[in-house]
Amino acid sequence: MRFEVIIAEWSTLAAGFATTIWICALSGALSLLLALPVAALLMVRRAVIVWPVRAMVDGLRAIPFLMLVFLGYYCLPVLGLKFSSWTCGLVSLTIYNTAYFGEILRGAWAHLPREQEDAGRAFGFYGFALTRRIILPQIFISAGPVLGNQIITLIKNSAFLMVITIPELTFAANEVQAIYFTPLETLIVAVLLYWLLCSAVEGIVRVMDRVAVVRGHE
Amino acid sequence: MISWTLAVELARGTLTTMVISLAGIAAGMLIGLALALLRTARLPVLTQAIAIYISMIRATPVVTLALLVFFGLPAVGLAIGPFAAGILTLTINTSVFQAEIWRAQLNDFPRGQREAAYAAGMTDLLAFRRIIFPQVWRAALPALVNEMTLLLKGSPAVAVIGVVDLTRVAVRMSSVTYEPVKPFLLATLIYIVIVLALIAAQRTIESTLVRRYGIL
Amino acid sequence: MWLWSVVMSSARPTPVVAIRGLGKSFGSLRVLNEIDLEIEAGKTVCVLGPSGSGKTTLLRCINFLEQPDEGQIFLAGERVGYVGDAQGRPMTQRELARIRTRVGMVFQHFNLWPHLTVLGNLIEAPLYVQKRRRNEVIAEAEELLDKIGLQDKRDIYPSRLSGGQKQRVAIARALATKPRVLLFDEPTSSLDPELVGEVLSVMRDLARGGQTMMVVTHEMGFAREAADEIVFLDEGVLVERASPEQFFTKPQTKRAQQFLQRLG
Repeated sequence: MRFEVIIAEWSTLAAGFATTIWICALSGALSLLLALPVAALLMVRRAVIVWPVRAMVDGLRAIPFLMLVFLGYYCLPVLGLKFSSWTCGLVSLTIYNTAYFGEILRGAWAHLPREQEDAGRAFGFYGFALTRRIILPQIFISAGPVLGNQIITLIKNSAFLMVITIPELTFAANEVQAIYFTPLETLIVAVLLYWLLCSAVEGIVRVMDRVAVVRGHE
Repeated sequence: MISWTLAVELARGTLTTMVISLAGIAAGMLIGLALALLRTARLPVLTQAIAIYISMIRATPVVTLALLVFFGLPAVGLAIGPFAAGILTLTINTSVFQAEIWRAQLNDFPRGQREAAYAAGMTDLLAFRRIIFPQVWRAALPALVNEMTLLLKGSPAVAVIGVVDLTRVAVRMSSVTYEPVKPFLLATLIYIVIVLALIAAQRTIESTLVRRYGIL
Repeated sequence: MWLWSVVMSSARPTPVVAIRGLGKSFGSLRVLNEIDLEIEAGKTVCVLGPSGSGKTTLLRCINFLEQPDEGQIFLAGERVGYVGDAQGRPMTQRELARIRTRVGMVFQHFNLWPHLTVLGNLIEAPLYVQKRRRNEVIAEAEELLDKIGLQDKRDIYPSRLSGGQKQRVAIARALATKPRVLLFDEPTSSLDPELVGEVLSVMRDLARGGQTMMVVTHEMGFAREAADEIVFLDEGVLVERASPEQFFTKPQTKRAQQFLQRLG
């Protein structure tokens, strides 16, 4: 096994790892933000509003992520919309995860005991403040582990972006192994780096879960 | 509307996708069950090793795994073609998730029933065969079908190593005809139909379980 | 009736269950201490005592669901858990399983197998452990169901039954292997009060019919009526043994007196 290659090319791999991290962080943050209005829309009681949103969310959750990437990458230019692969990749990753986060938040919201909301109203909270101070913190706490899982899925989905030549970790590793014929060493290092990243996320979720238990969530 | 070539190619791609997915699921289920049983057996070194292995594979993207299998195995002397590599990748990937599903069910299994089985004179093996497994696989079914859906959504990864699955067919047809919309939309539709079928199956299974046995 | 033949076969001079010097600890907690006990054929022994006195552990040692730390247990003369009389080797799973078919157990939480129908629960052990013939086993199971009055529930799944019905099925399931002795671990403690009666009634009939039984219970009424002997346990020690009349009206030891006083 020729690990000298890894050491020689560590900057490429490190750059790829860094790209993976910031793409996932950016996309994750954006989709979590966008998921809030999506979840809210899904909770509305007017069918006219709910149905189209539900159709889009379910549609996105029913297709492979790579298909979404290709739809954007190959089909949008036909409509005259020419985007760079970076934009394509980032946007598809964000849209895909917005659908999943939206559904997760909606589920947590629906599960929130009615009394919590009632108690908030009884103390004079209403509208946006009610949502922001009473409902959202509890939703995030209760959905913590599931959100954490979805973030890990997001990290793994980001690897698909190598297909449209975005230089994230898998792309970098593949480049190196193709040049030097060191598939095992290079890709195992990539696997270890993904493992590191996902374990970090799991660790954070565990810490948050402990905080959640203290704050009353089982 | 849809040219004959396109239809045929899409059909072949769909077939390939389904074949590798089913093969991956079947093999993955068995290996997953084996891994879960090994873990519950609590043998000293093996349990830790399996736990670490499962943790690593669960964190690995399917694409990365596919590259590792396809390019890595020949490097250790195992010549493997794209199709076999694709099935192997999907198998390895799903087996660790299946292992977690089986393990959760086995852990949750009510101690009382196990004791009643021992009290009635059953050995471990008989109790597993007649009492534990029949209930565990039924209870695990919804999670297993969900995992099948996830596997299907990850299956396009094999296109990267050259398997001509539905996704790769769409890419090919779009570059051959310079008309990407039809192939991709149709391929997307096909994926949606299959996933919806799986989800419907999962719901039916869940309601049958509740109806027949009470909530398992 | 087959019940008669069960009674006849257990009418032998060797006690059905013999316990000698039984001791058991869970970590640093001494749960059972120097227990000596014998149950003769056809007798019903009720084990009473405050919570945590080790009653359930004692019961579970008899069919080796708990492994004793000291002492010996004999089922109709045969040592349970170890081969031979002296320091024999521990039994294999197979050997232990064989012994267990001769001890029937009824659990506090019923522990019926939910994926099998009522009939399925009854025939499971006779078919797959004792390897008897299917028609024989089914016929006997149906007789048992008749006896406990649940023949119409034959093809129903346990999830549809009430607690009292489940426990009666559990009793029938334990009887199906034709055990030498039936062990009851607080059989009515998980039942709603209205359902207790139907289970106790089945147990009373069994006792009257000559089934050898050991019952851990809090139902004093049942103990008074149906027991041939009361065994009183406190903090892991067998404090007093007496007939029901003696125990309930003139308890000899202070702890027994305190126990009965607390019950009011």
